[in-house]
Amino acid sequence: MQIDRRDFLHIAAALGLFGVSAKANKRADEIKADDILDFNPVGKVTLLHICDMHAHLKPLYWREPSTLLSAKNLVGTPGFLCGKAFLDFYGIKPGSLEAYFDTYLNFEELAKKFGKMGGIAHMKTIIDEIRRDRGKDNVLLLDSGDTWQGTAVALKTKGEAIVDAQNYLGVDVMVGHWEFTYGKERVLDLIGKLNADFISQNVVDNDPFSDNFEETVFEPYTIKEVGGAKIGIIGQSFPFTSTANPKRFTEGWSFGLRLDSLQGYVDELRKEKKVDCVVLLSHDGFSVDQEVARKVHGIDFILSGHTHDPGPRPITINGTTIIIAGSHGKFIGRLDIDIQKGRVKNFAYKLIPVASSLIHADKKGVELVNRWYKPYEKELNQKLGTTKGTLYKRDTFYSTFDALIGEAIRDTMDCEIAFTPGYRWGTTLLPGDDIVMDNIYEMTAITYPDVYTFELQGAKIAALLEDIADNVFNANPLYQQGGDMSRLTGVSYDIKINAPTGKRISNLKINGKAIDPKRNYVVSAWGGNLQNAGKNLRETKIMPVYEVVSKYVKRKGTIDISNRSNVNVLDVACGCPKKGGVC
Amino acid sequence: MQRRSFLKGLGAIPVALGVGSLPILAKEKPKLKSKNAMPFKKALEIVTNGKGAKQSAKVKLIVPEIAENGAVVPVKVNVDEPIENVKSIHILTTKNSNARCADVFLSPRNGKAYFATRIKLGGTQEVVAVAVLKNGSAIMAKKPVKVTIGGCG
Repeated sequence: MQIDRRDFLHIAAALGLFGVSAKANKRADEIKADDILDFNPVGKVTLLHICDMHAHLKPLYWREPSTLLSAKNLVGTPGFLCGKAFLDFYGIKPGSLEAYFDTYLNFEELAKKFGKMGGIAHMKTIIDEIRRDRGKDNVLLLDSGDTWQGTAVALKTKGEAIVDAQNYLGVDVMVGHWEFTYGKERVLDLIGKLNADFISQNVVDNDPFSDNFEETVFEPYTIKEVGGAKIGIIGQSFPFTSTANPKRFTEGWSFGLRLDSLQGYVDELRKEKKVDCVVLLSHDGFSVDQEVARKVHGIDFILSGHTHDPGPRPITINGTTIIIAGSHGKFIGRLDIDIQKGRVKNFAYKLIPVASSLIHADKKGVELVNRWYKPYEKELNQKLGTTKGTLYKRDTFYSTFDALIGEAIRDTMDCEIAFTPGYRWGTTLLPGDDIVMDNIYEMTAITYPDVYTFELQGAKIAALLEDIADNVFNANPLYQQGGDMSRLTGVSYDIKINAPTGKRISNLKINGKAIDPKRNYVVSAWGGNLQNAGKNLRETKIMPVYEVVSKYVKRKGTIDISNRSNVNVLDVACGCPKKGGVC
Repeated sequence: MQRRSFLKGLGAIPVALGVGSLPILAKEKPKLKSKNAMPFKKALEIVTNGKGAKQSAKVKLIVPEIAENGAVVPVKVNVDEPIENVKSIHILTTKNSNARCADVFLSPRNGKAYFATRIKLGGTQEVVAVAVLKNGSAIMAKKPVKVTIGGCG
């Protein structure tokens, strides 16, 4: 199915690449590159949108969730759709290329048919084709962040490989979240190497000694002249960076949603700067941005990110249109805007799947990737074992890759309970695949990788789970933080998602026995600050999680993880309910 | 943050007259029934002279949705009334053991009915800003602030 660039252009020319109307839901084997790029252009301005690439320079498999649960009022709304509910909502045919990219359904089978997803060399081919067709001065490439972190090359080059890739792709503007986990100094250093504007209206100097106390750390917005129009782009980095990630990385910087100042910048751009279109480049999360659209007036488009949702269709709330382009480099969002007399008149949108086996890889991109991987090749290509079943991340409570990490930690640390964070990034391995060192990093490459072992009282464990559950299942998106529930090994519980705060969890058992609130349990955890809540830290046992997991896989050789979740949901009957909780 | 730098921070904000109670910056200790304990209802009664306060859009309260650090939660209050009409601004919380966080008495020399400080929140609850007007009536605004150990990326 691989076609080279010449063929691609040939097909494009023969079929009038950008003039043909969409032939929706073709049979899998009929899909060609021209279908992927097919678009009816509108106006003169094109915004290309990427988000949550998580440093995946190479193509990968990425399976979307098979469980995505939420509070009752949010069930079945964009941001809380998966599986068949997703296909039905967006009118996508099962078994199609879109179904493969957007859902977990028949993932293994479709993976064989359609191959890997993403990769910068393939993204570049798409971006270049659109730039060529629309004229390069009419196109902007906007990045919603979570770009610098998520793979070994990112971690080992402290983000530099990824900044190089962004410059190669031609990113014009970006915001951040995991970017900040390289620490303030490194962030500023990398921004110096980046050919894009790093903007944020919601990162504010919080150091009372500083001359810039209470002022924004980065430019809050930037104005770009594109296709004869003035586009005002406001930046919104992840509002909860300092609670979701260690505070030490951003000491002296304060985050938050800051909707009051956001409204101020929208008004400033419209009234004083006289822009024709206001865009919010955001890492708020899809459901939070729907609330932002309800509360802040005068934004034309929100280019969202953080929650990794593929959004095949834009949604419009209160006059603001919101788009989101999935994760891991799987998609490029193309937004054409028709601007007339200082107003947005019309727009058209397509979520373009980066189907790597159908799209030519740009040679310079392949070279760039090889150059950055070269020094680490030997370590990263090292085969550690094989997996019997699919290893995937995501899902609200349980995933096989998380279960593997939990098992590895328990086996190594000899603890009673292992905590693994509910991050939404990682990779997917198919049944029978080799597990190489690079895959372990894809699941664990963070700048604070240490696994801590300590004692935590039963009552605290219960309270903690309630606290995390309230961050995931709060009925008001503004009080969520956009991750999935922390994964626990050695623990089982029942949960009532719609019960009041603090009363959701019951039947909490530790290794089969009812939890004793007064007893201290030996807990191992990584990726958070849980160790600060415990006592008797085992200082000699601290070890990076990628070392723990890689050594375990090597010891075991064949990995066989059960698909059975340790969490029993009492008030929802399936993983992907439709509106009204219908399964 | 050190207490010293905190105070310097306060100094940078051009208001702060007669701050009733400064937030405690020490690490959170187990809950003890303090001599200073005062429930929200009582605090509201005291600052409004028993009259209570009406919710009003004129009181603009700016707080974070989720606290970055429950020990120092920034609170800003702006009252949309001429300074001559505003006697005092009070910051209360609904669940702290001492609900009365700050009482600020204003005079026309303050120029503007605006006050900013940081307060300590013992847990998720509402922050309430009360403005007592010259005629003795009181208006208020409230907003919930979530205090959490932290979440997932």
